Amino acid sequence: MKIESTFKIKKGLAEMLKGGVIMDVVNAEQAVIAEKSGAVAVMALERIPADIRAEGGVARMSSVETIQEVIDSVSIPVMAKARIGHFVEAQMLESLGIDFIDESEVLTPADDKNHIYKHDIKTPFVNGATDIGEACRRIGEGAAMIRTKGEAGTGNVIEAVKHMRSMTDGINKIKTSDQNELMSLAKEIRAPFDVVKDIHELGKLPVVNFAAGGIATPADAALMMQLGCDGVFVGSGIFKSGDPKERAEAIVIATTNYNDPEKLIEVSKNLGEPMVGINIDDLDEAEKLAKRGW
Amino acid sequence: MKTGVLALQGSFYDHVQSLELIGQDYVLIKDTADLPGVNSLILPGGESTSMIKIQENNDLFSGLKKLIESGIPTLGTCAGLILLAKDVIDGETSLGVLNTVVERNAYGRQNQSFEGLVDLMGNKEMYCFIRAPKILSYEDSVSPIATIENDVVGVIENNIVGLSFHPELTNDNLYLDWLSSFLKDGVNVRSL
Repeated sequence: MKIESTFKIKKGLAEMLKGGVIMDVVNAEQAVIAEKSGAVAVMALERIPADIRAEGGVARMSSVETIQEVIDSVSIPVMAKARIGHFVEAQMLESLGIDFIDESEVLTPADDKNHIYKHDIKTPFVNGATDIGEACRRIGEGAAMIRTKGEAGTGNVIEAVKHMRSMTDGINKIKTSDQNELMSLAKEIRAPFDVVKDIHELGKLPVVNFAAGGIATPADAALMMQLGCDGVFVGSGIFKSGDPKERAEAIVIATTNYNDPEKLIEVSKNLGEPMVGINIDDLDEAEKLAKRGW
Repeated sequence: MKTGVLALQGSFYDHVQSLELIGQDYVLIKDTADLPGVNSLILPGGESTSMIKIQENNDLFSGLKKLIESGIPTLGTCAGLILLAKDVIDGETSLGVLNTVVERNAYGRQNQSFEGLVDLMGNKEMYCFIRAPKILSYEDSVSPIATIENDVVGVIENNIVGLSFHPELTNDNLYLDWLSSFLKDGVNVRSL
């Protein structure tokens, strides 16, 4: 007897990615560099977030050709992004044989009220969350993995830190609440009761939680790991830097050895120029991607 | 008695949870300096390419290989099996201490990943196969200990056990009892 794509199996793949680095790539060449540098998975994109931010316009699911090219070039899991609420893009990614779908605020949302009902799609989903309520809503819809919604394409880690701290506070609040208080708490944070109850019993999120958005250096990756993340996504930080291969390897080693400052110093030497960052205060409210998601 | 759990990347905390359930002391292994005093080993699931790359930085696998060859009980699950195998199709041989040929991701991509009913040493339990490696063949010194339908999905050779699947995500009593005695005494396996 074999049963495919149960929630345990979807969640299980995320468990296997723990302690690892997932890298944004736009073609086969970058995907191979990522795999050889020790990435646990790659995110196949048409444009990396820094370019989406710079160029503007509507950002959609990557072209089928780009995704296929990346799938064919590596043996590690391949992820791809669908627009928030765009369940047809998700169905197409499922059909393409993608290993994980990121329902992502980095793309232009397709629905201003609803996210995708993720239980019906065989492929597991990762969703961004700025706080515990948002994480619970996404898990309720079927997300098998959560990530912070740090401002993608800025090379500035402050928003990811903010989300992770807020997530930890939210989990602690649920953990330490009396069970009689859980329904009221669920109402307050606009979260499905069952997920809140699960967190109360487990003392942690029922799925893996990664850091994403603005991670540009080995120190950034280690910071997010010390704050309690299970692993990191690095987007523009690698292929917008001076020496992508060196930086990719350094971030991978830093993510494993996040508690070892000597190791962090060693891998941070001779890395070349990091990506040029953007101060969050310089962004208009309308330019903040983390606001996308309901 | 301390079990070393390879902790470069992957589901090592799930194995730690199994060890806590059976009251077994453990240490996380990231560096050669973590190896002294370890007298059994677990190599977890994750991405084998990633683990191989990370250990190049400190050459952890040469120390690990010596330790396994000294005869201590060693369990590898999924990516852990790939690290142990002598021959890897679509991947790289690393530790190469288990006389089997395995093929990476041979059960398909994530959409084909499944929970399946495994016959593990005569008992049946549902276990997770996640982009799992397939055991294509093995030498006479290797015995099968787990099957699903017509496939061998678990083998033992002396002190080394390799499984294609993830018992640490199920932690049923049969597995935990077996793990407990295997880590203490090494070979303790009924053949099929």
